[in-house]
Amino acid sequence: MSGDHIHAEPTGFLRKHVFSVDHKVIAKQFMWFGLVWLLIGGVMAMMIRWQLANPGTPVPLLGKLLYPRGDGSVPPDGYNTLFTMHGTIMIFLGLTPLLIGCFGNFCIPLMIGARDMIFPLLNMLSFWTVVLGGLVGFYSLFVPLGAAEGGWTAYPTLSGNIGTPGSGETLWAIAVFLIGASSIMGGINYITTIVRLRAPGMTWGRLPLTIWGLFFTAILNVLFLPVIGSAMILMVLDRSFGTSFYVPATLNQTGGGDPILYQHLFWIFGHPEVYILILPAWGIISDLLSFFARKPAFAYRVTVGAMAAVTILSAVVYGHHMFTTGMTAMLGESFMLLTMIISVPGEILFFNWLHTLWRGNLRFTTPMLFSMGVIFVFGLGGLTGIYLATIGTDIYLHDTYFVVGHFHLTMAASSLFGAFAGTYFWFPKLFGRMMSEKLGKLHFWTTIIPLTIVFCTMFISGYAGMPRRYYNHTDLPFLRSIQHLNVITSVAAFFLGGAQLIFAFNFIRSRWWGAKAGVNPWQVGTLEWTTPSPPPHHNFDTIPTVVTGPHEYSHPALKDRDWLPQTENLPVA
Amino acid sequence: MSQIALPLPSEGRRARVDSTLGMALFIGSWSMAFATLFLTFLILRQRQPVWPPQGVVLPSLPLAGLATGVLLASSVLLHGAVARLRAGRPGFASRWAAGLVAGLLFAGLQSWLWIDVWSAGGRPDTDMYQGLFYMLTWFHALHVVCGLLALGVIQAGALSGRIHAGRATPASSVAIFWHFVDAVWLVLFFSFFAL
Repeated sequence: MSGDHIHAEPTGFLRKHVFSVDHKVIAKQFMWFGLVWLLIGGVMAMMIRWQLANPGTPVPLLGKLLYPRGDGSVPPDGYNTLFTMHGTIMIFLGLTPLLIGCFGNFCIPLMIGARDMIFPLLNMLSFWTVVLGGLVGFYSLFVPLGAAEGGWTAYPTLSGNIGTPGSGETLWAIAVFLIGASSIMGGINYITTIVRLRAPGMTWGRLPLTIWGLFFTAILNVLFLPVIGSAMILMVLDRSFGTSFYVPATLNQTGGGDPILYQHLFWIFGHPEVYILILPAWGIISDLLSFFARKPAFAYRVTVGAMAAVTILSAVVYGHHMFTTGMTAMLGESFMLLTMIISVPGEILFFNWLHTLWRGNLRFTTPMLFSMGVIFVFGLGGLTGIYLATIGTDIYLHDTYFVVGHFHLTMAASSLFGAFAGTYFWFPKLFGRMMSEKLGKLHFWTTIIPLTIVFCTMFISGYAGMPRRYYNHTDLPFLRSIQHLNVITSVAAFFLGGAQLIFAFNFIRSRWWGAKAGVNPWQVGTLEWTTPSPPPHHNFDTIPTVVTGPHEYSHPALKDRDWLPQTENLPVA
Repeated sequence: MSQIALPLPSEGRRARVDSTLGMALFIGSWSMAFATLFLTFLILRQRQPVWPPQGVVLPSLPLAGLATGVLLASSVLLHGAVARLRAGRPGFASRWAAGLVAGLLFAGLQSWLWIDVWSAGGRPDTDMYQGLFYMLTWFHALHVVCGLLALGVIQAGALSGRIHAGRATPASSVAIFWHFVDAVWLVLFFSFFAL
């Protein structure tokens, strides 16, 4: 009989470890890829903070290496490149591969009881497309006139030929296109796999919430990455073929284009992108909070419904990024109202998480700490979002550090904490070894404390008028009086950056020398913990039959343990 | 049959549904890319006082009309070919080949259309009309090239016997993609000549 396995186990090194179609290998590839880029993007953040704390002074250690022509301080165009590439790298090459590429690939087949993704070859292509995108982006750092300088949002005319001459910005657009194409391939694969390959008995109502989060993310990916892809095509044509889609009539003879058009296209994609990054994190922590509170997730269906509502609403709120473009009051108020409405399902999720924790038998493991960290930092970021959703306050706060603090807490810190929670949690299943809990907890506390200081101080300096993206803000006399706030932010940021070395050390050490993990080290019931760590090539010897939901904990009928695998029925009392 | 559930049988109804769902998702997704470009077309067109702007080089309507007819014919041929393959009747390879030839003919007519406009002085940077014309036709033509390559692969499969009545899904998926390319062209054609 043919078809016991989707594909035979490969034997050659290349097919096994490099051009593999095995979802587990691809997940690890995505993980390493994402972590390396997080490191590069993180170093860029440190350099930005150095410049803001000590404008125009040489960067220690890296300055002479990166800017050999000057005295080692960040030059103005170099600063533009730093914040542009920091944002781009963190979003597209760091968090997306880690949260969606790695956990999507790893968790979906294992948690729904499948042997692999439904289109393994497309899966491999998705990874190598993002690698190509990463290479193009990396190469752009070394071209004449430098890499992209238009900010991660790349608004024309900043990103036009007049604002940013040279090939750096063009290569940036090509890289974003390629990375988007990779996400679309992944999204198609995830949706089809979840729809078609669920094990017998794995009904929609029994899917782990992680899978729900990834499912909604995949839908957003499939719908909105093509929009940014097209926006990038138009940008490349404008830059390299002399068209003027984004060039206003005042700038050239053939004009008649519209720079605001780009902002619409960008944010039609850009706002869903926020939820593309946060939904997997929400899904992961919705599961982990239940696992480590040893309680069923509170109101499973409502959580799923709230995530679905966020997914739908995320498509119709993007105008709040553009209140200062002079949109009509009618349109502005509609976007304001819709943005306020999206906080309602957000609040529902919060209350569900808190209720899951309420009177639980909490186990403060590292994944649990990071999951609770997501609630905390997203809470801070979400509440400050109300000010930015309101037109009156947004017009004042727009393009200040208030915005920087807000989106770092919501889309950056929350997704990163979700990724850390997932990494600590699934590491035993990924590599068959445990990460050190002691170092993990140290990593958590040395991360969340400086992180809170960094971004909350940004709220204050932003409220005081500190603008984004200024090379040397101390040129403005009124900002000199709040320079101490920037110094506090930077010092905390250096602690935050340093703390990530603990994670890197823990990760590398545990990968090869960690304690061996058993089949089910966390004592949870989802399907991936019924198969060895790491799972065999075919995942499951026999495809499991699912009979219960993913969150059966501390049920009174359970005698010798407090958890129930999804493949077992509750004992008859 | 043993107790082991088959995760992904290589043939049969299941694989057909899987592939068709994947292809449908792809087309739904990629329609957003084209929708974005057509939205751009509509918005920038609205900005112009007259459309088409005075003095621009217009692409030839008869040529574009002929190309439209040829492309529609190729879709009909491919559809017929797949229907025959699924029904197990002979004549798949020849009909598919006819569809492929019609597709190639479309590519030729498209090139002619470009040469026609280009030689009359219409370049991407001459005015907004040409910019939009080249942008949409280039992006569409990229899909035509990919589609033709896929059509060629299926043709080779049909000749070597790898595509047969029991394994028709690759052919039907490629045909669906080609219909999509066809539909986008219709929108493009009407955008420039009827709107």
